[in-house]
Amino acid sequence: MAKEKENKVKDKINWKRELKLAPGYIIIILWIIFTFMLLGWIVAASFSTTADIFAGKALKFPTGLHFENYAQAWGSGGVATFFMNSLLYSLTSCALLIIICAPAAYVLARFTFLGNKVIQTSFVSAMGIPITMIVLPLFCVVANMGILNNVAASKVTLIFLYIGINIPYTTIFLLTFFSNLSRTYEEAAAIDGCPPTKTFWKIMFPMAQSGLVTVTIFNFINIWNEYFLSLIFANSNELRPVAVGLYGMLQSMQYTGNWAGMFAAVIIVFLPTFILYLFLSEKIIGGVTGGIKG
Amino acid sequence: MKKNKKMIVGFLAPAVIIFLIVFLYPIVRTIMMSLFKIDSVTDAMENWTFIGLGNYQKLFTTAIFRKAMFNIFRIWSIGGAVVMVLSLLFAVILTSGIRGKKFFRAIIYLPNIVSAVALATMWLQYVYSPKFGLLKTFFDALGLHSLADTPWLDTDHKFWALLFAYCFGMVGYHMLIWMSGIERISPELYEAATIDGANLPQQFRYMTLPLLKGVFKTNITMWSVSSAAFFVWSQLFSSVTANEATIVPVQYMYMHTFGAGNAVTERNAGYGAAIGLILCLCVVLIFTICNKLIRDDDLEF
Repeated sequence: MAKEKENKVKDKINWKRELKLAPGYIIIILWIIFTFMLLGWIVAASFSTTADIFAGKALKFPTGLHFENYAQAWGSGGVATFFMNSLLYSLTSCALLIIICAPAAYVLARFTFLGNKVIQTSFVSAMGIPITMIVLPLFCVVANMGILNNVAASKVTLIFLYIGINIPYTTIFLLTFFSNLSRTYEEAAAIDGCPPTKTFWKIMFPMAQSGLVTVTIFNFINIWNEYFLSLIFANSNELRPVAVGLYGMLQSMQYTGNWAGMFAAVIIVFLPTFILYLFLSEKIIGGVTGGIKG
Repeated sequence: MKKNKKMIVGFLAPAVIIFLIVFLYPIVRTIMMSLFKIDSVTDAMENWTFIGLGNYQKLFTTAIFRKAMFNIFRIWSIGGAVVMVLSLLFAVILTSGIRGKKFFRAIIYLPNIVSAVALATMWLQYVYSPKFGLLKTFFDALGLHSLADTPWLDTDHKFWALLFAYCFGMVGYHMLIWMSGIERISPELYEAATIDGANLPQQFRYMTLPLLKGVFKTNITMWSVSSAAFFVWSQLFSSVTANEATIVPVQYMYMHTFGAGNAVTERNAGYGAAIGLILCLCVVLIFTICNKLIRDDDLEF
């Protein structure tokens, strides 16, 4: 509500107009208050103690702020391992996705050749396929390769899978993006004798920067929060990313009764995507609607 | 063109090959697997027993699977209706010229970037908590003590608690899709309508809604796709596999094929494959019906 007041001070207010919109303001503000309460309380609880939470005093901090909840969750709780795993999976997959999908999207957007339409249609349909349709044979292949007990090989497998399932979305997103870039740059480069491959990497790739950034943020959030694949393929704590790791921790912390520590773990998992969102929400919101054509 | 051939192949190859490995091969194999009885997921093909449509037949006569399908149907239909109405309402409000639009939009979308595990925990451990929960505090403050003491997570209420929490997280995403549709409608149309004397509800009913048909189709498709994969919320709401109140097909498949439960005696990976295929067919069916019912080519904007 403070924000709304601030805005009202800035421009001249047409009260008649604002009054007409009042029901809208009320509905939206109620929803937002609820969101803030939900997140705010969890943050407060993560700095509180289990006893205070149960006494309903999570927002009052009778014994001060307890940063040790975070230290505990990070250290003995094991969040550090999950966090580093997720970071590795997300960053590597995002980088490789760009290197693999940007050239493919460019070729699909710029050249007509046999199979172009087929590939595009397959990618678009793949976005609607439930992951249950593909997970069993993949598990079978991976298990039969006998690498489920090898930590390094399992990590590579997970990264490969994250890349695989995100290829359709990333390619289609970048395809739309490349289609909107002017062809004159390539024509000019061709006249100057630049080979097409070099034209792509030296001219078009850097020009697509904003599209690449948007799709990367999006992939990062998706992979960071990915649950089902990691639940099946990451079969030890050394491999687990945050989502599955957090699930395991929740189970055990409910028994040990360390609720404050559990909420701290929730916040740690939530933080990276939240920080990204804080700075780049406009780009992320654009990314949601950019890949979808109504 | 010839010169480009090598480049086209080289540029496309990695993406297409990985795509074939991760999507095409598994899809074909899943379809095949659904026709066999397979004791373990990792069994070689020689050990599969062909039983035709036996898996499907058996699934639909199994009470727990029928319950799971019924649950996912309720999530799709009731949850879908709630999410579509709320997200459209928010989209209309946010595009009606209110102040702080970007700020509101960002906050409403925020739950979508949070890990579902974290979000579900917030609901389970805080909002629905019988000791210090938000709902309890809220109803107590209003003096509605009997409502405050409702056990939100018991068998009777659990499904609705789950559905409500899930919808809360999904509204933002669908709101963005609606908003991008509304913002594409030319403001001149509204100016003309205002001059002709149409009031705001009339403008919404006779202009905005018909013009958003195509966007509605997108929304339904996206909602169906995410419903078909519905899993993590269910797993968090009932970690005990014996609790059927919130079971969904993917969870049943996971229990069955990866043997996570004591409730399951027989293991058959063909079963899991059949469930995957059923879910996929549901998405295709919904998509086809939408395309038949909603033609967006008669309106251009």
